[in-house]
Amino acid sequence: MELHLQLHKQQGDFTLELDLNVSGERIGIFGPSGSGKSTLVSCLAGLNRPDSGRILLDGKPVFDSTARINLAPEKRRIALVFQQHGLFPHLNVRKNLLYGYQRCPTAERRIELAEVAEVLEIADLMGQMPETLSGGQSQRVALGRAILSSPRLLLMDEPLSALDDDLRYRIIPYLKLVSERFRIPFVFISHSLLEMRLMAEQVAVLEKGTLTAVMTPEELARQRMGISPSGYINLLELGAPQERQRLLAFPWAGGELLLSGGATAEPGMFELSSKDIILCKRHPEAISARNLLPCTVRNLFETGSKIGVELDCKGAVLVAEIVPDAARELAVTIGSTIWAAIKASAFRRL
Amino acid sequence: MLLDSADLQAIWLTVRLASVVTVILLLVGTPVAWWLARTRSWAKGPIGAMVALPLVLPPSVLGFYLLLAMGPNGPLGWLTSRLEIGPLPFTFWGLVLASVFYSLPFMVQPLQNSFEAIGEQPLQVAATLGASPLNAFFSVALPLAKPGFLTASIMTFAHTVGEFGVVLMIGGNIPGVTRVASVQIYDHVEALEYGQAHRLAAVMLIFSFLVLLGMYLWRPNPKKG
Repeated sequence: MELHLQLHKQQGDFTLELDLNVSGERIGIFGPSGSGKSTLVSCLAGLNRPDSGRILLDGKPVFDSTARINLAPEKRRIALVFQQHGLFPHLNVRKNLLYGYQRCPTAERRIELAEVAEVLEIADLMGQMPETLSGGQSQRVALGRAILSSPRLLLMDEPLSALDDDLRYRIIPYLKLVSERFRIPFVFISHSLLEMRLMAEQVAVLEKGTLTAVMTPEELARQRMGISPSGYINLLELGAPQERQRLLAFPWAGGELLLSGGATAEPGMFELSSKDIILCKRHPEAISARNLLPCTVRNLFETGSKIGVELDCKGAVLVAEIVPDAARELAVTIGSTIWAAIKASAFRRL
Repeated sequence: MLLDSADLQAIWLTVRLASVVTVILLLVGTPVAWWLARTRSWAKGPIGAMVALPLVLPPSVLGFYLLLAMGPNGPLGWLTSRLEIGPLPFTFWGLVLASVFYSLPFMVQPLQNSFEAIGEQPLQVAATLGASPLNAFFSVALPLAKPGFLTASIMTFAHTVGEFGVVLMIGGNIPGVTRVASVQIYDHVEALEYGQAHRLAAVMLIFSFLVLLGMYLWRPNPKKG
């Protein structure tokens, strides 16, 4: 999917002024609230008309002020998943799911109800009314409904922000699975860096109505390490653990990681802040941190007042952060070996 | 028999008038209410005020202007004579037209409220799923506004049944043509037929109460409107 946006939109005091070229199947638009994300979404979907500019989707214009083209939203075939699920309260799940499907020209239909219901695990809900669904179920149905309209592009406007934390990260696999399985490119809009990293391959960063950068989510995360209060978040996919002296030992990078803090004994995705990794020049004789890993320094990067240290632990990558003074004392250089100490309680399940 | 044939005729005429007016107002009032609920035009204020006028105007004032408009020198009178329909005053259809104006806010305002309560999002969702504005109106807005339609229809019907002043101004008092129940009661009282007036008045009272009772019972949750 290729998206070319060049638009100007004045809304009260707020101006959206964008020039953006992105290609890929999973595009993220990242920015704080008030940065113009939602205005951009509604311009893309055709719900809001830019003052001037043009929007090309795969080379075809959906809006072009000089050529006087402004496709109506129902003609764009750009589906939208809203922050609030927006299911039609008077239709049951099945009819909600089929709403866009039935309105899609037969020749353009390429996704069937049974398949979507299976992938999203909503087959058992067909007869239910939206008011009886939980938040996560509603959002899955809304996603299914959007997919079933066989869109050229799927817009997701903060689709997870109305959900509870633990539910949020359980929906993400569905979002990715659906996009891959049915080959629908998406634009994912969020103010959450973590969601960007889990969802997007390219991120456009918006600030106060203008585009400030396009980069990978990884680059963005490292760049923001210095200003983010939670540092850089390492994401670790851990397999099935074994219990060991009241801790859980998860296999990781050829060795294992010891976790505590009520971690359930299931595999899953965990986060670990760069602030929770302590670096030691030599092997400490005794230390309270339960994980002590020999690493090689792969890379060093500066961001804000911090120095990011990219570590190679038997092939797996971790990012730790240190202040410049510490960097001098440790004498870290690319290629040097170092010990990383991590408390068993520092990990958090997503 | 409780009511004599003249009373029954008056009741039948009232029901016919109220039904016709309700149907016409459903067709006329829905687009007006939809427009008022969705527009950002400056004209929303003036049009909304005009629709609401019958709520505050004395029926005699409204009836007076309508009578002038329908008269031979009025624009409606000119139109009806050009179309060879004949004059409207003191006819059933003249009464229908007057009642349509008189009951307009009772149809438009509940509908407008329920359209506004739907909000933008369901219609935006429908549009992104490929529904044209008309299609979205019928498949989303109409079903969601169903309680509003019911309220509006009942209010319009009941209000037309309760009409008196406009009927006298436009329709006069012709049995079987314009003599509706409210006028019939007035006639009974004028003729000192208190017994008959009582019976017909009681029928009207019970009818009105049952209509309103039904409306309140049927809508336990007004939030859904």
